[in-house]
Order: sequence, then structure tokens, then C-alpha cells
Amino acid sequence: MPSTAAAAAAASSQPDDLIRRLRSSDGAVKLKALRELKNQIIGNRTKKLSYIKLGTVPDVVGVLASSVGIDSGSALIVESAAIIGSFACGVDAGAKAVLEAGAFPHLFRILSNPNEKVVDTTARSLRMIFQSRLAPKYDFSKNENRDCLISLLNSDNENVTGLGASIITHSCKTVTDQKILSGAGVLRMLITLLNGSLYQREACLEALTAMLSSNSEVISNFVDLDNGRALSSLINLIEDKSPRTRLLASTCLIVIGRTCSSYLQGIELKNKLILILIELLEEPDRVGDEVPFAVANLIADREDLQRLAFEANTLDKLCDFLQRETLRPKRFEGLLLAIAELCSRLESCRSKFFSLKVLNLVTDSLKHDSADVQTAACICLRNVTRSVKKLSAGHFMNEMVVDPLIQLLQDSSTSVQVAALSVISNIVVDFANRKSIFLRCGGVKELVRLSQSMDPTLRLNAVLALKNFVFLADNSSKECVLAELTVSTLVSLICEPKVQEQALAFVRNILESGINSVEHVFTEDGIIVNAIGKQVRNALDLNVCIEGIYALGNVATGNELHKEAVMSQILEPQVNGPSQSVLIKFLQGNNSQLRVGAIWCIINLTYPDGPGTSSRIAKLRDAGVICQLKKLADDPCLDAKFRVKTALLQCVNNSCAK
Amino acid sequence: MPVRIAESSSCSTPSQGSGANSGDTLPPACTLLSVGQAFSGSQNVSSLQKDEAWKVNVRIQGCDLDHGYLCGTMEALNVPFADTPVVTFWEGEIVDTKNYTFFTGKWEATIEDDIRHWSKFPSFSPLLNEVKDDGGRSLNLSNYPYIFMRWKEQYFVNVGVDCGLTIAGFYYVCFSVSDGSIDGFYYDPNSSPFQKLELKSTNEGKSGFSFSSYQLQ
Repeated sequence: MPSTAAAAAAASSQPDDLIRRLRSSDGAVKLKALRELKNQIIGNRTKKLSYIKLGTVPDVVGVLASSVGIDSGSALIVESAAIIGSFACGVDAGAKAVLEAGAFPHLFRILSNPNEKVVDTTARSLRMIFQSRLAPKYDFSKNENRDCLISLLNSDNENVTGLGASIITHSCKTVTDQKILSGAGVLRMLITLLNGSLYQREACLEALTAMLSSNSEVISNFVDLDNGRALSSLINLIEDKSPRTRLLASTCLIVIGRTCSSYLQGIELKNKLILILIELLEEPDRVGDEVPFAVANLIADREDLQRLAFEANTLDKLCDFLQRETLRPKRFEGLLLAIAELCSRLESCRSKFFSLKVLNLVTDSLKHDSADVQTAACICLRNVTRSVKKLSAGHFMNEMVVDPLIQLLQDSSTSVQVAALSVISNIVVDFANRKSIFLRCGGVKELVRLSQSMDPTLRLNAVLALKNFVFLADNSSKECVLAELTVSTLVSLICEPKVQEQALAFVRNILESGINSVEHVFTEDGIIVNAIGKQVRNALDLNVCIEGIYALGNVATGNELHKEAVMSQILEPQVNGPSQSVLIKFLQGNNSQLRVGAIWCIINLTYPDGPGTSSRIAKLRDAGVICQLKKLADDPCLDAKFRVKTALLQCVNNSCAK
Repeated sequence: MPVRIAESSSCSTPSQGSGANSGDTLPPACTLLSVGQAFSGSQNVSSLQKDEAWKVNVRIQGCDLDHGYLCGTMEALNVPFADTPVVTFWEGEIVDTKNYTFFTGKWEATIEDDIRHWSKFPSFSPLLNEVKDDGGRSLNLSNYPYIFMRWKEQYFVNVGVDCGLTIAGFYYVCFSVSDGSIDGFYYDPNSSPFQKLELKSTNEGKSGFSFSSYQLQ
């Protein structure tokens, strides 16, 4: 509504006037100013920020501090405490200002005030501060703190017990914290308090979740309480009238089930949990926003629960919500993560996901304003692109999907970049010969850039994506990648402990398609094949050895020169190691994959009809390799046993042919 | 591999579903049956009227032993009336007694059909008695040198569904761990019975066998 210049000027002068009145020595003036301030800021984030900027918080804390011990101070304490709580509620800058102004010790002291209204307001205010992530962690290892917490939980005042519970929720973060509190009898106190008001019950459920999270010992203590009655009370609460109680009780049960699945065994209970959570998705407020996260947490890494959730049509519901308009970012993120978990393992879920026609919506959300939503969309896409059936049909390799993902590789947030890399890693496997689309969109350039990032996680994931890209790629695509990557970078990646396994697997894939592809590792005086050989001889990591020997095995599918190069790499004694060759070491190893890789390498080196085959067999015999092979004739691994047979047969046939 | 659409019809009903048991009794992993590996051979599509065989190439694209899952493509090369080789995508169920037993329980295959087809593989005969009762749920296949599977084509990769070919049936498949050969029998009540698929592991002209891999995130 338009207003006159005079009216606007009057409105803007109001905060200054109000602050001036807060500093008045007249108690009545101060009280009136406090009430005005409270009415302005409660529920109004903009006003809160504006007053925080004007430096109002220290003035209010000043009023609080100066009102303690004054006869007429109660009303001032009530108003100032309420304002302090409001400033801290939901606004980080407010919580920071409140803490910096030293409100904490004053508020704690006031908790012992005889005036119940004063105590109520102060406890509520402190609880709001403890709901901020900026609030200091309460140190439970100090006796006085523990005693104070116990006295709060023992209070008859529900706001005070609620505060005690909030302190636990905020500060109980380590196994030690959980054990201290459990040892102090806090579990039993919280269970008793569950019988109180809604406010108290919900605060206690959150505190219980914090105490039980990932701690099997404390969970066991909890389950043993009163012969299992504590657990029964919790289970009963998942059917409570209050939606928030239902959610919090479910969350607590999920925490128990994730750590000790035996306590969440009954299929009926699992089904009930799923149905309750699905129903809670309909809740419009904070509860509805938090439910998808609870669903995701319930089914994460649990195929049995994913199957149950799928059978209860959870995916349909989640996708239905996803398509509703005006979703808050928090809920959008949660829905994407819950869908991601459902599609993480079961192909039937992925199949359903595609039939529900939400792929475009998820792809569009890669461009969302919120980084959390973008990351969740990536995780969702990562899990649905685990479908080889869809990858084979070339479902994802198109500009609409690839372009926004490549954009995200340049995001300022590393977690967004890593999430985008994980989807790209899957999409570029592409069996439909459409890898050129990714090249054309500049994807390879970006992956190569990230393979040299300062961040080791980005480097690792970028090399993994490059490895997947060159899997069964045509020669021209491989050449493009190698030209972009350069030989020197590849060599340094092969030598870098954190990424070498993936770098060797990348080379293995490059080498897969015959002599032309093998030539790639012989450029620049063969520094790549030398680097592979060096790593294979010196590596301690099993997976590096496996990738390395398979890479050399692939080199040995090339021509005579290539095979001879492999011979010299694998028969050279190990640096600072025993005099035996690495090939014998691998054949003697406990890992069947490594043995099989080494045997394949020998099969390729002794492959029939090569002009140098006889001489290589002689060298292998002299090096004790054939003798070692014979010892594996009855290898417990069938694959190794039969491959040994092939290798020995090749050697025998070669001798007979001479 | 697709076959010609025939006009007869059949309505045998699916029997019981695949069961699951626990324990480390899964068939052995085999490098020749890993992703990227190729096979080539032929499928006999002879009918009463005509002897005929189509050349076939297979490539493994996905393998998830925990779920008894294998998939890949099958390319039929000299299909009459087709301008190009016809490529289909198939998904395989590995008979591991955990995820899948010898009983198909779907795709119009009765237990009798199952036994009749599996019995065509000589390597199946030692298992027959145990399979008859419950599909072989209690068999320990971890040291058995053959891997039994069912391959079901899911869609045409490079031609439309109106190409005059059908992928309604499925294959009973037996893979030999010792030499990487694959034998199969196509089953579709509406097609010629026991069309035999014979494949051999191929190195595609290389001087040895190479292995590649990918890793889904």
C-alpha cells in the first residue's frame, strides 16, 4: 500500500526510539519497549535480523541481567527472556548475538527463581538457544553439569524438564556422552517423562534418539529397562494422536533398528513403521518435511525394508508428492533422498521409478537454487542409473541429462561436484555407443580437469568416471580421452596411492580392444607400461595388484613386442623384496582374483602361434613360474583351476609342436 | 536372440515361484562370464520345413552375483528379411539356489518343461534327483563346474517391435566354467521346440584374452 513520505519516516525512526526506551532507567518505559519489541520480532525473521543488526540483543540481555534481584523485576525478566529466546530461534545470527551478549549464565541462574512464570519463560528461552547449532556443547563429564541436568529432569515444571531433554538432544553426540548419561540413570528418567505433556514427551523422544544413536550398549540398556516395557512404550507412541510424536517415536525406533536390527525384527512392526511414515507424508508442516528423511534412514542399506516399502507403494507416494507444486526445498530434498534409497538396490524399484515418469522432474531439479536439492537429485539419479537395463537402452546419455550434470562439475561446493561425478560415472558406462555425446558436451574435458583437482575425493571420483567412460569405448573415444589427459598426467595418477587403483583400471579398459589400443601405453618410450610394472612390483594394496596384473595381462594380448615388455615387467625381481618375481608372488597369494589375473597374464604370454612363444615359455619355466602353476592344478577356486589347465596345456602343446 | 513369430498358441500356467535359502552355496565366479566378455556361435532355428541356423554374438554387460543377475546383448547376424543384425537386450537369472532355483515358475514354463529342458544338458543329470523335489534348493553349487541360467530377452535394441520377430520365450542356459562355452535351449510354447544355442567364449581376434571392468556408483 502506498504511504506518505512522513509516515515512512515515522516508521523508520521507530526502532531507534524503541532502543532508546530499552535503555531508559524507568522500569515501566523499559517494560513497554520490551513488549513492543517482542510483538515485532516473534515469527518475523526480517524484523529479527534488522534489530540484531542494530545491536539490540546486548541491550535486552542487559535488561535481563539488571532485573535479577529487583522486586519489580519479574515482568522485565519474563519479557527479556522471551525476546532472547525469540532472537535465537531459527536465526543463526540471533543465536550468535545472544551467546556473545552473555545471556547463557544469566538465564541459567534465573532458573532457580521462585517465580514460576519467570522459570517457565527462561526455560523456554534456553531451550530455543539449545535448538541452535551454535549453542555451546554441554559437557556431561563435569559433575556439576551432570547434577544440574539431573535436577532439570527431576523438576515438576515441564518447561524445565523439556529444557533438560533439549540439552541432551543438542549435546549428546559421542559414545562417551551416551554412556555417561546412561550410567547416570537418564534413560529411565526420560522414559518416565514420556508420560507427561505433549511438549515434554516430544522433547524426551528427541533426547532418547540422541542417546541411543549408533550405540548398541546404551540401546541394550534401554531395551532391558523394566523387562522391555520401555521399548513397548516407545512402540506404542508410533500410533500416538500427535503426528510429531508419531514421527519422533518412529525416528527413535529407526535409530534402534539400524544399530541392533534384532530389536526391529517383526515384519508387522516394520510394516507398521512404513505405513505410519507414508501417512505422515501428508502432514503439511515441519513433520511432513522431516518424514522423507526418516523414510530414507529407515530403508538405507536394508534391502528387506526397501522391498517392504516398495510393496507398500511407498515409491508411488513419494513420486506423487514430488510432482506437487510449491514444495519447500527441505521436503523436496528429503523426497529425492527417500526415492534414491528405494532405488538403491532393487531393479524392480528402478523399473517402477521410470514408469512413474519422474525422471525429467528429477533431472530438472539439478538446476534447483538449493545446493542440498541439487545434491539429493544427483544421489537419486546415481541410484536409478545403476540399472544396466536402462543404461543399455541408452536412456541417460542425452544432452538434457548430461548438460546440467557437467555444469555441476563446476559448482563451488565439493559435495555437489562429488554427487554429480557419481551420476556421471554411471551414465558414461553407456552400452548404446553414445559416448560421443558426452565428449561433445565437454564432459571428458571436465573429468580430466577434476582428475587433477587439489581435492583427493574429486580426483578419485573423476578417474573412476574416466575409467567407466573408456569401458568398451571405441578407439576414437579412447584417443580423445588420452589426448586430453596426457601421458604425464596418467603416469602421475598411476603412481598416486589414493587414485592408482582406479587409474590402473582405467588403463586396463583402454587396453581392452587389441593391438591398436595396446600401442597407447607404449608411447613416449613406454613410460606408462613401466609405471604399471613398477606399481605392480611394489604395491602392497591387493586391489592395486589385481588391477595392475589385469592391465599387464591386457597388454599381453598385443604383439610380440608388447608381450616381451610384459615379460620383463613381471619377471623383474621386486625392489627391496625377495628375489622371486612378482608373478610367482601373485600365484602364491591367498586371493583367488589375484591368482586368476596372474594366470590370465601367463595364458596371454604363452598364447599359441606367436613367434616368441617358445622363448617366453622357456623364460617362465626358468623363473619357476610353470612349476608354480603346476602346484595350482587343484586350486580350490574353480576359475583358477581351469585357467591353470589352459595355461599348462598351451605350454605342453607348444613343446609338442616344436 | 529373437525368433520368427509363429501363429499357434499355448496356455500353460506358471507354477510356483523361485525360492531362496541361505548359505555359501552359490555357483563359482568366473572371469569368462564377467562384464565385457564376448561369445559367438549360432542358434539352430530349424523347423519341420527347413534346416536353418543364425549366427549369434553375445556380450555380457552386467553381473550381480549377489542377486543372481546377469545381463547383456544378443546379436543375431543372418536373420532373413532383416536389413541389419538384430540386437536384443536380455536379463539372466543365475540358478544359485538362493535367488533362483531350477524351477522357472513363470514365462509359461511348468516344472515338467523345466526338467525336460534342463535334462537336455548332460551336466545336469547328476543334479536331477535333487532338483525334482524342490527345484534344487538345497544343492551346493559352489564347486560345480557348470553354471545354469535362464536368459530372457527384454527388448529389441536396434529394431522396432513390429520387425516380425518375437522375444516372447526364454533360454535355458548352461555355462561351462572349464572352457567358457555356453549351450542353451530356447523355450517358447509358440515356437519350434528345443532350438539350440551354442556359443563359445571369444577373444575377438586378439592374441589372448583381455578383461575390462566398470564400477557403478
